[in-house]
Parts: sequence; structure tokens; C-alpha cells
Amino acid sequence: MTETFFGSVVRQRIILFVIIGFSFVVSINLFKMQILENPTYEKKSEENSIKKIVRYAPRGVFYDRNGEVLVSNKPSFTLQITPSQYKPNLTSMLENVMQEDSGYIADVLNKYKGFASNRPIRIKRDIDFQTLAWYEENSENLSGVDYVIETQRDYSYGVIGAHIFGYTKEITSKELAQKKEFYDLGDYIGSKGLEKTYEEYLRGSKGYNLVLVDSRQRIISRYLSGKEDISPIKGKDLVLTLDLPTQQKAEELFLGKKGAVVAIEPSTGEIIAFTSSPSFDLNSFASVTSGSTWNDLVNDPDKPLFNRATMSIYPPGSTIKMLEALIGLEENIIDKDYSVNCQGGYRFGDRFFKCTHVHGTVDMERSIEKSCNTYYYKLMLEIGLEKWAEYMRKFGFGSKTEVDISEESAGLVPDTEYYNRVYGPRGWTRGFLVSLGIGQGELSATPIQLAQYVSLLANSGETYKPHFVKGYINDDGELVKFPFEKIKVDIKKENFEIVRKGMYDVVNESGTATWIKQQDVVIAGKTGTSQNPHGKDHALFVGFAPYDNPKIAVAVFVENVGFGSTHAAPIARDLIRSYLRLDKQKEDKIETNIAGINN
Amino acid sequence: MKVEYKLQDKFDFWIFGALILLITIGLISIYSATVNHPTAYGNFQKQFFWVITSLTVFIIVYYLPQNLFRLIAIPSYALSIILLIIVLFAGKTVYGAKSWLDFGGIGFQPSEFAKIGTMLALSYWLTYKKRDINNFKDILIALVIGFVPIFLILLEPDMGTAIVFMAITIVMIFWSGISLFSLFVVLSPSIVIFASLFGIAPLIFVLIIIILSLFYFKKDIFTSITVFILNLASAFFFDFVFNLLKPHQQKRIESFLDPMADPLGSGYNALQAKVAIGSGGFLGKGFLQGNQTQLRFIPEQWTDFIYCVVGEEFGFIGSILVIILFVVIFIRLLGLANSSKDEFSSLTTIGILAILFAHFMINIGMNVGITPVIGLPLPYVSYGGSSLFVNMILIGIAFNTYRNRRQHI
Repeated sequence: MTETFFGSVVRQRIILFVIIGFSFVVSINLFKMQILENPTYEKKSEENSIKKIVRYAPRGVFYDRNGEVLVSNKPSFTLQITPSQYKPNLTSMLENVMQEDSGYIADVLNKYKGFASNRPIRIKRDIDFQTLAWYEENSENLSGVDYVIETQRDYSYGVIGAHIFGYTKEITSKELAQKKEFYDLGDYIGSKGLEKTYEEYLRGSKGYNLVLVDSRQRIISRYLSGKEDISPIKGKDLVLTLDLPTQQKAEELFLGKKGAVVAIEPSTGEIIAFTSSPSFDLNSFASVTSGSTWNDLVNDPDKPLFNRATMSIYPPGSTIKMLEALIGLEENIIDKDYSVNCQGGYRFGDRFFKCTHVHGTVDMERSIEKSCNTYYYKLMLEIGLEKWAEYMRKFGFGSKTEVDISEESAGLVPDTEYYNRVYGPRGWTRGFLVSLGIGQGELSATPIQLAQYVSLLANSGETYKPHFVKGYINDDGELVKFPFEKIKVDIKKENFEIVRKGMYDVVNESGTATWIKQQDVVIAGKTGTSQNPHGKDHALFVGFAPYDNPKIAVAVFVENVGFGSTHAAPIARDLIRSYLRLDKQKEDKIETNIAGINN
Repeated sequence: MKVEYKLQDKFDFWIFGALILLITIGLISIYSATVNHPTAYGNFQKQFFWVITSLTVFIIVYYLPQNLFRLIAIPSYALSIILLIIVLFAGKTVYGAKSWLDFGGIGFQPSEFAKIGTMLALSYWLTYKKRDINNFKDILIALVIGFVPIFLILLEPDMGTAIVFMAITIVMIFWSGISLFSLFVVLSPSIVIFASLFGIAPLIFVLIIIILSLFYFKKDIFTSITVFILNLASAFFFDFVFNLLKPHQQKRIESFLDPMADPLGSGYNALQAKVAIGSGGFLGKGFLQGNQTQLRFIPEQWTDFIYCVVGEEFGFIGSILVIILFVVIFIRLLGLANSSKDEFSSLTTIGILAILFAHFMINIGMNVGITPVIGLPLPYVSYGGSSLFVNMILIGIAFNTYRNRRQHI
């Protein structure tokens, strides 16, 4: 190679040699593989191919605060169809056996149009034993139909909790694109509620079996006798803050009613009971839902899928009065002895704002006890809109509580900026404040915000963000707690004492809810009515017990029933009794008495 | 001087015909590999769209004024380097390499674009004012032009593409008339690196050969020692780069050395690819009949392992046809490079040949099991818009210089 000039003939030949040389080597290799060794490779391709069979991990179990099971798993049989081998003339017979409407199978298969036709599609989860037995007898004639054993959520522990637990659903291709490292097509993923929030803990990790399959995907044997298989790892169990009996009681009390209740342990923010009614059956989500089940739920005028406890926003009515009293005290606008003479209402400009009764001279404690509107009309005007809005926000109104299930509304705390935006700077007057003073007008809040608010009242300004989960159980069986943010409202304790005394009077003196007064526990609370321009008013009650050392704070909201004292307060009373196990003590007492008599 | 040509004097029908056949074989194979696939079933339509787009761009490039390529050589190289740096920070990771940039929903790989930029820049530098390629400084600068993108691409890390850039650099320097000794200096480090993969003993063996060669060249002692140290340093440098590689890439290189060591891991693809091709036989199993393909034993078969589909479903006949079509393209490109009297045009054509041949060699090599599994698409056949797009631009440039070849006589 002495020719060292540009593009010389020698160099051209060398390049040519490399091209021809490599192509020749490849051709020799192809000849060797495809002609000489073809039988060996053909045999390999026909027989011994390794296939992964995915084994799904059971999801973590939900326990209540005392270790009682709320939701666990059960094995279930899932009927599936492989479209490429399936004969459509089997459809009507299958639908008959599964007791589904005609068109059910077509519906499900339609959803998976465009997917590989040799991939089995889940037709129905949790088929009954009758169907299974029928399948076993006739399987020879049912080409393209088979079943697999999967684990499925078991909701048979006496709680509904649909809005709390949420559900899982098959992963969408959009989600799959984002989370490719953990999921495959056909996997289930938490879609609502705790199943969604704690998906990372609950999902566990999939395992697989390696098997040798022939070219028609028939399993020949285990690969290396299963030595290389990986067992699935069950998801982490969660310990919830719910109390099973109280939760059951809440769900039972709301049967046939519309509304929501949230009960919280004030010192920790732990949610003891939580319900939104009407609810729905999670079992209908556990099996493959046909379009019609879903449509029924979506189109139901009572909106069972809507989580009223975190999403419905209504004016909180008189339940807000304690907060205004606190502002008055803390800002030194009034003291506890400040009195108003109630003559059945309050004149502001040319409008007369009514009170419920003629209360006469009313001081602060009595204003709460009797829920005197006149007192708060006046007080509100003294506080002013900006100061009022500032305190409302301190207590969590106007922003999401960030409870650990998604889908939550923030509600609304109107302020000057808001009114200017909506009505224009000249479009509104101080008269708007008068309605805000009794918790009506533009002010709106969710039941869970009210529960957080009453927790702060009960615990003199300190609690934690409301939450459903204490923590997860680690591999050593120990509870690992999740951290939750502390909430602190800087208001003097003696001021809290004054409004708490007012709430005591509501139930225990001559207030608006005296008829829920209990012998064995001191309840404090406040009734409220949320004005509803579309129909009957909504009833509200917030309360806590025991008065001296609050263990439970409750916010009850019942739609379209009228006055809070009659409809909402008894629900709070029953939940308090249930959580403090008072009825059980009573029974125990009676039992010991009976035992005593017998002796 | 304006000369009228016949069409066949301006347009190479051999290359174009081979190209169209390869693209057609690619489309058929992509259809076969994806038609029953749960997520990739739309790839045939997408590729078809890209074929139309790329052919349009090819025609546009064909009609561009020829001196344009010389003008944009340095700017396009500079832009390539900038994009390669940006992708390291803002890139999207695909298959373990941070190699994709998103421009308003349209993704593309800067390293694809950089092939054009680097090829043009090297052509520009090596032919600027009748350069003497055996001047040490000039070789060094040519090497730097080639190795800056190589280094940036290794950081992504994308081993396969980095090898393509090495091929571009070395082949183009070679074509410009480098002396045997200079070529030895440039090439010997790669041989040292390759040997170091097999362990300490082969490395020492190769180093001894290098010392013997240095005696043969009879250069002065200072030059010889410098070259030897350069070789030694490259082995250490490679070790450093090897550690930069992602574990799956290290494994790929290791599994090439012993594919049976880990039949379910990285050796799995190599093994299944061989089974697919080997089981094809003389005539193949027929369109849509390949059970390895249809049962998806090889993941993402429509990209880097598309040749297996050809091998399995169209057998020895189909596989050899693909090889022949490529050889036709390569030999004709070599002819074009030779017929061009303008050194810049000749060198760009050789650069294009180097890019296409490096892809061909690495891709076919790994499919047949004679080179490691390093992810690179087979030009014109594999699924992938940006790769097809760039490869059609390259052919467009080659045709453009062919069209204008007599203007410099």
C-alpha cells in the first residue's frame, strides 16, 4: 500500500474487499444456519421455547385501627376468551350460563378490539361454581374459552366503604406508557380511593413461572424444574384509622338517607368513620363490569359515585358561629360578656335579617347555645370581611384538606377580592357580610372540612391533617407509621374554652340539641341548617365527646331533611356512643346485673 | 459549462431500485411482526407514512445546489454538537440511552442528524485546499472532529451509534490517502480495545504484536514509544468508558463472548434470533407463518431484529436477497465516489457508504450471531422514522453529487 493519495485504486479495492468479504462471511453463516443446521433450529423453534407466565401478587389487606380486617383477598375464577380460537356461535350459550344479558360478551370483546387476537381477554371475573362446573363438563366443545385463578378483593367484612377503599381497574394504555417499568398490559392498578393513593404499597410485585412451550404455546414442562421461577410478593398490608363498629354504624344510619358523615380523632386527625350516601357496591367493580352496570351508576340521579363527604360543597350554616365568636375574642373586638338584645332580627340598611326567635339579651355562650342570628349579624359587621376570611382559612376552609383519597373540593371563602371579581367593586355592599355571619351566602364547605374544624375546636386549636391510614406493616410484622402534617391555629386556650362551653350548653343546658344529652357521656356540639334554594334545607351537626377529653369529633350532613337538631344530631350521638363502646358497656352492665340476680 | 445528460447519467437506477426493494421487504416484515401485536399493531401504517415523507425529502435533497453541502458543513457540525450536548441534559431516555429530544411532540435523535453533520465536516476538513493528510496535526484535527460526537454519544450511552461514528472517521481518513503507518497509529488502539475484552492474556499478546509492528515500521524511538503509550492509554480509556455503560449494555458485550451463559437474559435475544433465522430453511416458513415472529419470542422485533423476520419467513432466499441488495448499493456507492472528480463529493459519498455499511455490518452481524447484540437498526428495512429519514437524506446527498459530478472537470 504505497499509493498514498486521495481515493487511490488500492484503497478502493480494500473497501471493496471488506464489503464483499463481510457479505461472504454472512452468506456462509446463513447457508450453515438455514440449510445445513436447519433441522436442529427447526426442532428448537417447534419445541423448546421458554415462556414467562405471570403470577399476580395479592394486594395488601386493609385492617381497621384495632386490627380487624376491612378488606382482604379471595381466590376467584375468571372466565376468559381467546378471540383467535373462539367461535361466536358459543356466545348465546355462554351468556345464558353466566346469567348475563345478550350482547354482554360482544360488549366486552369490543372494548379490546385492536389488541392481539391470540391474547386471552377476561370476560367475567368471579364466576360461580355452577358456571365452573358447567365449563369443566363441556370444555372440549368450548374452543377459545378457558378460566384462570386470580385473587380478587373480598368485601365481605361488613363494611361498604366504597368511597374510602376505591377500586382497581385494568391499566389503560395511556397509564401504561407512563409506568412501563412496573406494569404490563392486563395488569390492574388502583384507580380510586385508598387503592389509588397507596398503590405503591398495595400492589406488591409480580412473579413469574418459566415454562417450556411448543410453537402452539402449549406448555411442555417447567423450565429447569422451576429453579429460575420468581414468586410473587404480596403487597403491604395497611392499618387504617377507621373503627369497624363505628364505620358500620355510620353506614347503617345513612341507609335511605342522602348525605355524609366524617368522624375524626381530634388529637391525631385519624378518621374514625366516614360515609357518603348513597353508596355503591364495590363487588360490582371487582368483576369485569359490563357497560350497563357502569352507566347505571353514572346516570343515577342520586349520584352514588359522587363522594359527598369530600366533594359536596354547601353553606355550613350556624355551625360556623363558634369560629366567629373566636375571632371576636382573639382580636379583642368583644369579650365573653358582650351582649346583644335580640328582638327577632337585625335591620341593616333597608333590609331586615330575621332570627329564629326573639332571644332578648344574649351574651356569647348563650348566642351559641341558642344559635342567635342577631348576635352574629352584628358581630360579623364588627369583624369585617378580610379578618373573617383570614380566620376561616386558618381553620382550613377554602382549601382542600389533602385527605389521602383523591377527588376533593376546596369550597369557597369569599373575600373582598372575590366579590370585586364577581360583582365588580361597586356591585356589592356590606349587606353581603350579614348572611356570611350566619354561615350562609357564598361561603361553602365540605363535610370533611367541617370535621377538621370541629376537631380544632375540640382540641383547642391543634390537630393533624385528616387521614385514613396509620401506616403499613413491614416484613417483620411491625407497623411503620406514615407522617402527617400538623395543623395548629394560634388562638388562646381560654378563648377556646369559652366557645367550647357554648357548645356544651347546646346539648346539656337549654340549647338547640338538648335531646341528644347522654347520661354516660358529655357531648358538646352545634346544630346548623344549610339553606337550599332548590328544595328542603340540609341538616348539619358538628360535635365532639367527651367534653373534658375529646376522643371523637363528628360532622354530620344530611341532605334535604330540614333542621339539624332533629336529623343530624342523633347520628352524631349514635356514632359517639358506638366509638366509645357505651352501648356495649351498658349491655355488659345489664349482663352482670342479670348474673348477679341469678346468683 | 452547461451539459445535457441522459437521465441514467444523473440518477443511479441500480441504487434506487435496490433501495425500493429493501424498503418494500422492510414494510412486509414490519407488517408481519406487528399485525398481531397488542401495542405495535399500527407500526406498518406509521412506517408507510415515513416512507412517503422520506422519499419526498430524498427528491428535494437531490435537487439542491451541490455547493450547498460544502457551505453548511461546518454549521451543521456545530449544530450537531450543540444538540448532542443538549440531549445529555434534556433528553428522553429510550432503552437505557438518553438519546431522544422532543420538539413539540415530534421526537428525534440528535445522533442521527449528527451523522450528516460529522460526515460533511470531515469531508470539508480533509479536502480543504488539497490538504496533506499525513501531516500529524491534520490527522489529529480530523480525529477530533470524529471523536467529539463519539464521546458525547458514549455518554448517552449509545454504543452502536458510537461505533458508526468511528467507522465514518476511520474510513474517511483512509479514503483521503493516509499512509500505512498513520493508519496503523489510528487503528491499533481499536484492536487493543477489542483484545482487552477477552481478558489480560489476549491484551498482552496484541501489545507484543504492536511492538513488533513498530520495529517493522522503523520509525525513530520517540515516535514508537509515543504510539505504544497511546495504545496502552486507549485500553485504560476503554475500561473507563465500559464502566460508564449501563449494566444492560455491559451485559450485552459480555453475553456476546458467551451467549449461553445467560440464556434468559441478554443472550436470550441472540439465541432466539439465531433460532428464528435458522428455522427459516431454504424457502422460509412463509408470510405471517413464522412462529418465532408471530409468537413474539424476540421483543421489539420490528426494529433491530427485523432481519430475523426475513430470515424466518422468507428463508435463505430472502436473507441472501437482502444481502445482495445491500452489496449492490455499496458497490455502486463506491463507484460513484470513484467517478466523482471533486474530492469533497467523493469523500461525502465514501462517508455515506461508511455509515450505511457500519449499520449493515453491526445489525446483520448481531442477527446472524457473529457480532455482539448492539442495538442498531438495519437501514431502510427496520421500523423507525428518523433513521429512514436520515438514510434517505444521505442517499439524496450521494445522488446529488452524482448528478453534478461533471461540473468540476
